Amino acid sequence: MIEVQDLVKWYGPTLAVDHLSFDIPQGKIVGFLGPNGAGKTTTIRMLTGYLPPTSGRAVIAGFDVLKQADDARRMIGYLPETTPLYLEMRVDEYLHYRGKLQGMKRTLRKQRIEDVTERCGLEKIKTRVIGHLSRGNRQRVGLAQALIHEPKVLILDEPTAGFDPTQVSQVRQLIHELKGKHTILLSTHILPEVEQIADDVIIIAGGKIVARGAPAALRKSVGTQGAVVLEIKAAAEAVSTALSQVNGVKNVQVQTQSEGWTHAVVTANAGEDLREPLGKAVASNQWTLREMRHEAATLEQFFIQITAQQTRGT
Amino acid sequence: MNRTLTIAQRELTSLFFSPIAYVTLGLFALGTTSIFFIYFAPGEQATLRPTFQWVVWLLIFLAPAISMRLVSEEFRSGTIEPLMTAPVNETQVILGKWIGAFVYFCIILLAPMLILIGLLEFTSDPDYGPIFTGLLGLILVGGLYLAIGIFASAATKDQIISFLFTVFIISIFTIALHFIAQASFVSNDMARALYFVNIFGQYEDFAKGVLTLSNFVFFFSGIALFLFMAVKVLESRRWR
Repeated sequence: MIEVQDLVKWYGPTLAVDHLSFDIPQGKIVGFLGPNGAGKTTTIRMLTGYLPPTSGRAVIAGFDVLKQADDARRMIGYLPETTPLYLEMRVDEYLHYRGKLQGMKRTLRKQRIEDVTERCGLEKIKTRVIGHLSRGNRQRVGLAQALIHEPKVLILDEPTAGFDPTQVSQVRQLIHELKGKHTILLSTHILPEVEQIADDVIIIAGGKIVARGAPAALRKSVGTQGAVVLEIKAAAEAVSTALSQVNGVKNVQVQTQSEGWTHAVVTANAGEDLREPLGKAVASNQWTLREMRHEAATLEQFFIQITAQQTRGT
Repeated sequence: MNRTLTIAQRELTSLFFSPIAYVTLGLFALGTTSIFFIYFAPGEQATLRPTFQWVVWLLIFLAPAISMRLVSEEFRSGTIEPLMTAPVNETQVILGKWIGAFVYFCIILLAPMLILIGLLEFTSDPDYGPIFTGLLGLILVGGLYLAIGIFASAATKDQIISFLFTVFIISIFTIALHFIAQASFVSNDMARALYFVNIFGQYEDFAKGVLTLSNFVFFFSGIALFLFMAVKVLESRRWR
């Protein structure tokens, strides 16, 4: 549904996007991740036809975004990063305007506006002036605007920026409901968001793809297998030496806390589950244990790792 | 065409929603009426010609005040991005915005004028020929100024710069040409040629009520030229 071939963008002497290629099949939600300045917004702007690429091409639902611009744009619902809106317009007025620009007839427009205002939770503020709305509500208007023409492809640039936690989960819910009906490219740097709703993740840094795959697969490929965190009532050095001797332990970090407690983070060699041997080690030393938990590797660690490698490499 | 009109309609509504609109309308109505009453006395001719002569000057500031935000504001607020990613092209955007501003300008111009014409009709027996051509001339001058204004507006995201740039270009085609034509080094033929590209010179014919095709050609081609340049400037955004 979204095909990107060898996309390159130079801003004067700066290379913003470096030979990017990817495919997104129909009905998938793909998370588009990367640190600030990685080229996410530039890539999105080329996909939506706002900026022409220096070379390479992008095809949306079979239409080249430059050569068949009007057809391609009809297929795309786009929520830009800062949600720019006409502040002097009323919500329903704005939605009518966007519908008209999409070439929708009046009856269809009315029906679609009913639908998107309900879906985006705008019924109560339909007749309010956009300039008087809160940031979260403006974001909903932006989302409603992107959905008005039932686009096959939805491109959302940081859709939850400026939301409070409840609203974030509402938007996540909404995106989840849209799944299947639309192919969604979701740019964000909020990782939990992607871990929960995306089928697939593309991570870019320095204008290149550095990783692609399902969130779970990417998490698995993180070198560290997670860690075990323990809190033991004993001297820090004693804990460090004792735990280091356990089979399969790669690294032990200790930290002295008040009232004689020691906080230890134990990382394992790949594939080892250390909870049982660590428990035995604590028991054999007859230490008091107040906490032991297993910390799974997160996409966040992967993200930091991969983007750090990238910056070091360049 | 539909999309052009959609953009024009939005532009017109948003002009009426901005406070600047009412300030310009108020100032313009005050200006024209004051000028009118200077010449409105017993024994004077029942004509709007002297009023129109002054209004042409007022338009140098009125038109840029209307046009300055047309495109600049889209750039400043970022709304250019959703606009240019909708299925519309640069020509539709520029043309739509110009039409919206032009309709608004006609309303602002005609509102006080119709009242003044009514006043003349009520107190005397005016000659409607020159009044009609004079108004038509003002409308064309305004249309040209707005085209210059939208060109300047597409070139910058700062409304003030857009305003000043417009006034500057208009001044070249009015005041500057007028003085150059009077300079000693300019030959007679040259002076006549300069008179033809001078907006005030062209307006003169409308005020007198003597119209030829060339007057219309001048204004229509001027409007088309600046609208075309505005489209090109807006397109250039993509290649910068």
